[in-house]
Amino acid sequence: MDDFELELKMGFLEEASQLLTDAEQCFLALETSPGDTAILEKIFRLAHNLKGSAKAVGFDQLGEFTHELESYMLKLKTGAIQVTPASVSLLLRCNDHVMKMVASLKENADSKTDSTDLLNEIKLQMEGGGAAEAAAPEPAPAIVEEPAAIAEVPSANDVGFEEAAELMAAETSKVIETYSQPVAVAPTSAPAPKVEEKKTEKAANANAPAADESIRVSLGRLEKLMNFVGELVILQTVLREQIATNHPSSRKTVHQLGKVTKEVQDISMSLRMVPVKQTFQKMQRIVRDTSAALGKKVNLEISGEETELDKTVLERISDPLVHLIRNSCDHGIESAELRKERGKAETGQVKLSAYHQSGSLIIEIADDGAGLDPKKLTDKAIEKGLLKPGTQLAEKDAYQLIFASGFSTKAVVTDVSGRGVGMDVVKTNIEQLQGDIQIETQVGKGTCFKIRLPLTLAIVDAMVIRSEADRFIIPLSHVHESIKPSESDVHFVSGMGEVFCLRGENLPLFRLPSLLNKKVQAKSASDGIAIVVRTQQTSFSVLVDDIIGQHQVVIKQLGEEHRGLKGFSGSAILGDGRPSLILELPDLVSRHQSKPATTAAPAPRAEAKRSAA
Amino acid sequence: MSEQRQIGTRFLSFSLGNEEYAIPLLCVKEVIAVPEVTPIPFTASHFLGIMNLRGQVISVIDMRTKLGIKPNPAAETAVIICDLSPLSLGVVVDAINSVVSPASDEISDAPDIQSSKASDYITGVYRKDKRLTLLLDIAKALSVEDFQTMKKATKATKEAA
Repeated sequence: MDDFELELKMGFLEEASQLLTDAEQCFLALETSPGDTAILEKIFRLAHNLKGSAKAVGFDQLGEFTHELESYMLKLKTGAIQVTPASVSLLLRCNDHVMKMVASLKENADSKTDSTDLLNEIKLQMEGGGAAEAAAPEPAPAIVEEPAAIAEVPSANDVGFEEAAELMAAETSKVIETYSQPVAVAPTSAPAPKVEEKKTEKAANANAPAADESIRVSLGRLEKLMNFVGELVILQTVLREQIATNHPSSRKTVHQLGKVTKEVQDISMSLRMVPVKQTFQKMQRIVRDTSAALGKKVNLEISGEETELDKTVLERISDPLVHLIRNSCDHGIESAELRKERGKAETGQVKLSAYHQSGSLIIEIADDGAGLDPKKLTDKAIEKGLLKPGTQLAEKDAYQLIFASGFSTKAVVTDVSGRGVGMDVVKTNIEQLQGDIQIETQVGKGTCFKIRLPLTLAIVDAMVIRSEADRFIIPLSHVHESIKPSESDVHFVSGMGEVFCLRGENLPLFRLPSLLNKKVQAKSASDGIAIVVRTQQTSFSVLVDDIIGQHQVVIKQLGEEHRGLKGFSGSAILGDGRPSLILELPDLVSRHQSKPATTAAPAPRAEAKRSAA
Repeated sequence: MSEQRQIGTRFLSFSLGNEEYAIPLLCVKEVIAVPEVTPIPFTASHFLGIMNLRGQVISVIDMRTKLGIKPNPAAETAVIICDLSPLSLGVVVDAINSVVSPASDEISDAPDIQSSKASDYITGVYRKDKRLTLLLDIAKALSVEDFQTMKKATKATKEAA
């Protein structure tokens, strides 16, 4: 296959994924308003587009499948078949199937997918629909099948792309073989011997390239960027001439250059920003499937879907969101009967919203369900052995229990949730993104999860500090305050180390070199500056020699060889071109504290021996 | 091993102390003067730190410390930027000598010395004009062991935490 054809095909696949997400939204909309011809028109058009382009670029299999799908939709459109939940389910499953096909085609443009089952089902429905009334009993079996479909859904939807590709691998490798070998041999070549088959399979897996991701950028932004880059080039030329002639106003030009650079930086950053819309819309489907599986009525309300977020952050928050939404449907919203009993509307409401707040993005997942009962949570934790019997927790602490691993209040483990894994993963995922999650809840009224996320992971506001000859970077989000301690505020407590007394509060004081495993020079604490760090777990202060300044730094990941090195989240290049490390002070402190514990433990024993002797 | 080695492969030869080593030319990205390096705490002694290579942050490793060779104080040092996908690394050496393309009969197998620290990474010996050049498997010399120590170190800290 030549490059042009491949490019064409890849372009189509990108487009197809987009069309499919659109189609999914339409299917869901169709379910709520079955008679809406405008939606039907749109779906029909999407299917038609897909079919046409698929055939044009030579994906015949995909084309055939969408052709069948199209004829089914035509019947829906003309009213030959009624739009029922069952038919929407079928459409959604077909959509998933096409997504799977597209995903596997992305991995390997020659892969084949078996779609006979779905095709048969479509035919069955079409025939059933032809006999108008005969369609009525049809929904029943389809609904029975639904739990199975739901079990499949998450894999197809979120984790799915890789998984689907893996599933395909076996078939794919065979295809590769038949395609790669006949070049030399006649096309009638028999399948290769088994040993070789294994080899190619491995090779196929190893060679599967990480698909080059793409992002949609508005033309307006690109044009703005081009303009500023143009200005940058002009300013650079001006500067060069000014320096050559020793012109007095070069300082001004540098200043202007700085302004334009900032502008270019801002725009390039915004190129990575995507609206949360797509991720949010995916949740519609999750809610639909989850609530159907649980037999509850849940309505998802979405707001702020135009809010923008860095693409990588968005991708990584998607799974935690799915989890939280499912949790809200399962644990939060009560069953319809119970809701009636409690005087609530039969249909539960889950609200998903996003908005900006002081340089962060907030995502809220609120339900009007049962809410969290601190007492129940504590009891459950005691029962699970997570807490000592008789422990009394403040409400706030009790809520935090749901993030403990191995904790689930649901008595019965369902398909949807209740295994007690997940919430802890949700929390770690969010914390890995430098964000945090808060819970607001009221028994009987509902629960609201508030996720705060940084807008981007690529640039942080940071404080550059000096410790002896080295410079380090501390993310500003870690710095609660910085203060010059006076001699009398710092006390040495043997066995505990130094303590800094700040406005009546006693904070442990660490000297940065000792945190970094270097020699500490005896210096008065009043010569340095104490950086106060407060996290949800602890508060402490770190003594540094000087604060150099406050900058926005571009994070450069450390190489593979330093991944997993605790205490450093990356590096950044400072003004003089030298790289500097970004410190994760809480990690460094926990690392530091874990060390004396291991070395100090044997010491008393040795002493005890000596005294015994 | 010798059958795996491709005939006609070119190597970049360099000095570590008084010894000569060579690595396949294909994994060499560029050679630069020793830049300013920012040290990283908690790493092995041969990890010199990180450097800025035109906006990319790259780890720098001292091959001499790694292989236990005394540096030659008179030599001018250089950094070879190696592309060992997925990672790029800077390797400090005493001097860069030349590009050699040994004929297959000039390469012999590495001496089988169990105790030698470097013997694991030596894939062969190139002999010419009574001079010995050791062919180094740079990926093996750098990554395998270091990754393991790295992982062990992180595991240890995790367990301790």
